[in-house]
Amino acid sequence: MTFLNTLSFGLLAAAFILVVIKMFLEPSRDHRILALGRAISLDLMATLAIGFITLFAVVNDKKLFLDVAMVLALIAFLGTVAFARYLEKGK
Amino acid sequence: MNYFILNIILALTWAMLSGEINLTNLTAGFFIGYVILYIARRALGPSVYFSKVIKMVHFLGFFMKELLISNVRLAHDVLTWEFHMKPRIVAVPLSVKTDAEITVLANLISLTPGTLSLDVSSDKSALYVHVIYAEDEETAKREIKNGMERWVSDLSSQEKE
Amino acid sequence: MFAQILMFIGAFFMFVAALGVARMPDLFMRLQSNTKSATFGVGFLLLGAAIHFWEFAISIRALAILIFLFATSPVAAHMLGRAAYIAGAPLWKGTLSDDLKGQYDYKTHELTAQPEEQQPKPRKTGEKRTK
Repeated sequence: MTFLNTLSFGLLAAAFILVVIKMFLEPSRDHRILALGRAISLDLMATLAIGFITLFAVVNDKKLFLDVAMVLALIAFLGTVAFARYLEKGK
Repeated sequence: MNYFILNIILALTWAMLSGEINLTNLTAGFFIGYVILYIARRALGPSVYFSKVIKMVHFLGFFMKELLISNVRLAHDVLTWEFHMKPRIVAVPLSVKTDAEITVLANLISLTPGTLSLDVSSDKSALYVHVIYAEDEETAKREIKNGMERWVSDLSSQEKE
Repeated sequence: MFAQILMFIGAFFMFVAALGVARMPDLFMRLQSNTKSATFGVGFLLLGAAIHFWEFAISIRALAILIFLFATSPVAAHMLGRAAYIAGAPLWKGTLSDDLKGQYDYKTHELTAQPEEQQPKPRKTGEKRTK
């Protein structure tokens, strides 16, 4: 684990923390818009997780973890789509 | 004769002759088969199979360039304190007609930074796009029409070379 | 070493995406930041992984992840953007024009195309649309 890898991990962790903080500090009053803002944050967190797993696989030299990233890439958007559909239709 | 099926048969043959059917051999066989078919294209009759692939490679280059430039621009905007954005929602009239083409176009527009396709009108004649850097409306529309849409309609056209 | 530099660039772009989501003033621009910079960053990270392992099976896997992401993230962004507009998310006050205004039928969610001659009038933005 070199300095540059540590720095990459740090950046990704900072990104995670930022998104989580943003998720709790949504400014909107309307509950649908608030939920949509949180859905955006959640969507970004899924992508961040894929990046994190990839980095982890490289740093620890474990190829198997890339499969986890692949499955996550396949199914991560389903939740967002379902959420968006629900918010579009529902009250 | 379908070039794609021929190419797959050539790839299989290559893999069998190599003595082991695995992904590496199949891929290598596919590329070698492609080159062989390209050399023999006069004898086998004209097809879009070759011009399409060359166009596709050009398109990939164009797409990568767009991606890089506008990502750096967006990153600069996010990292500096004030925003220089000029967002608009514009309606782009569509000249591609089939559902598949519209889907691909909308996805590509969403992937190039600075533009995000929001919705297609119910009669499929206009695509509503959110553009971040749009000095004026006509330029933004023209950029999308001449850039992405031309590529998509070029790649989906069925003309012989 | 080269792989590490690529992965650092990727991580940097993902951080920019997160910062964009946290900072951007309206929902649509946050979506933009989310879809683009994040996908771009993952692309760099995967490229770094492919170079690090330098093995055919891994490269194919990285390519597959990238293709899945490039196919699915615009769909998610489109659904969220559409839902946000229908829910009446306010546009940023600097937004210059909005062709979607008045085009939705909020009962059926049908969307009409704009007639060519009826050019959009400059509208006041930053206000909340009424349903």
